Amino acid sequence: MRPTFAIIGASLAGATAAATLRQDGFDGDVVLIGAEPQLPYERPPLSKEYLRGEVPFEKALVRPADYYGGNRIATLLGVRATRVNTSERMVEFDTRPPLHYDKLLIATGARNRRPPIPGLDLDGVFDLRTVGDADALRAEAVPGRKAALIGMGFIGCELAASLRQKGVEVVAIDPLPAPLFRILGEQVGHVLAALHREHGVETVFGDVVARVEGEGRIGRVVTKEGRRFDCDFAVVGVGVQPAVDLVAGSGIETGDGILVDEHCRTTVEGVYAAGDAANHYHPALQRRMRVEHWQNAMLQGAAAARSMLGTGSPYEPVHWFWSDQYDVNLQYAGFHREVDRIVVRGSLEERNVLVFYLNQGRIDAILALNRGKDLRRAMPLIKARALVDPRQLEDETVDVRRLAPGEAHG
Amino acid sequence: MTARSVTVARTTDIQPGELAAFELEGVRIAVANANGRFFAIDDACTHEQCSLADEGTLEGTVVTCGCHGAQFDVTTGAVLAPPAFEPVKAYPVRIERGNVVVEI
Repeated sequence: MRPTFAIIGASLAGATAAATLRQDGFDGDVVLIGAEPQLPYERPPLSKEYLRGEVPFEKALVRPADYYGGNRIATLLGVRATRVNTSERMVEFDTRPPLHYDKLLIATGARNRRPPIPGLDLDGVFDLRTVGDADALRAEAVPGRKAALIGMGFIGCELAASLRQKGVEVVAIDPLPAPLFRILGEQVGHVLAALHREHGVETVFGDVVARVEGEGRIGRVVTKEGRRFDCDFAVVGVGVQPAVDLVAGSGIETGDGILVDEHCRTTVEGVYAAGDAANHYHPALQRRMRVEHWQNAMLQGAAAARSMLGTGSPYEPVHWFWSDQYDVNLQYAGFHREVDRIVVRGSLEERNVLVFYLNQGRIDAILALNRGKDLRRAMPLIKARALVDPRQLEDETVDVRRLAPGEAHG
Repeated sequence: MTARSVTVARTTDIQPGELAAFELEGVRIAVANANGRFFAIDDACTHEQCSLADEGTLEGTVVTCGCHGAQFDVTTGAVLAPPAFEPVKAYPVRIERGNVVVEI
């Protein structure tokens, strides 16, 4: 009998894993299980081009609709897996009989955090994860209406930009001193705050929404400090948590996501995890991390598939993501936590800059505003873990490609 | 439409590992010097229309878009990595007396 490889999560990670299994010659059965009714799609456009109505949903599909049938990938869509029974090797559901697997990949992603703010259950309060959420927001995003954004992380920032571009008034509220303050730091945070203000966003930092008020439907948000902002709708964007309830009691260990090694293997044999749900060990960085970005979903999905086939190599990428806000293309490569020096190359004010996050003389991460080309050229510096001279990093006359040790290609 | 040959540059104008953009018949075309071999493709990335010549980086015959990381094979225009999934158009190139000639 042919083995069955099941994938829970018809997501970018899950669909990429399924496609990789086939590309690499796996001849067994592949079953892709998704809680949402749609074929696997990419989420980055949901806060940007799709929300603004610039691209149709089909452009967001991970693979064309006929790909799955054509490659013998069975899809079970609109079906939520509720439990993984590792002793019987079964995926269980509330709505259909269990499914046997020989190997299993869990790529269930994350779910949006919902803070305990009174009034979030009123009509007109949204969050954004699915294409259904995006469709609901599109219907609200009518010129002249006013939106309150609860949280100015990446989702809040991208929504602020898209809504302003659609002619919607926006008030954005975040407890930190600037957008993305914790991850990108003070300097970049203030650049982004100025960017949003320049485009007409009313920004409220250092305060939090204490309650949402309205008669059946949202009418205003009220902050902890007592400020009141009338609005027609609100969007909550305060981060996510990994969607891993289904492994409870299975023996699969978790801790901010499903714990996997550098081969995407969980603590139970034959079970793998990838994408936002997985907390992976990164051998080059010698630490665990859980990454919530597009590139990781794609690359780790592929890495997990190869591990399932026994042909994998350690997964230790230079993590990378982008965010588009108005005319600013923001990119970030690497991974930083402790930083003892920040080096700026270019102009923060002009939003044409590379920001290097250094620790003990090495580049842990780089942020680029409208400098994707330079970022890509500098990425080998992160991978090499080489000691760098900060004066050369900030010197625009020094080509970043020349700073990489033994760098032969650009 | 019949193909037209257009001289866009001297071979020495585009360094190895670099791309340059030229506007031909209203279309922006990126010409790549892949270690001495020249190739021409549409300049606009099919993902978000970023300029591959201005924003992209070339390694061998692979161009990586600087905006979102999509990759194309400059020899064929084929997509090698998402988020793009439609190829860019590739144009025949020949070298004549040190000139880069693109057929469009």
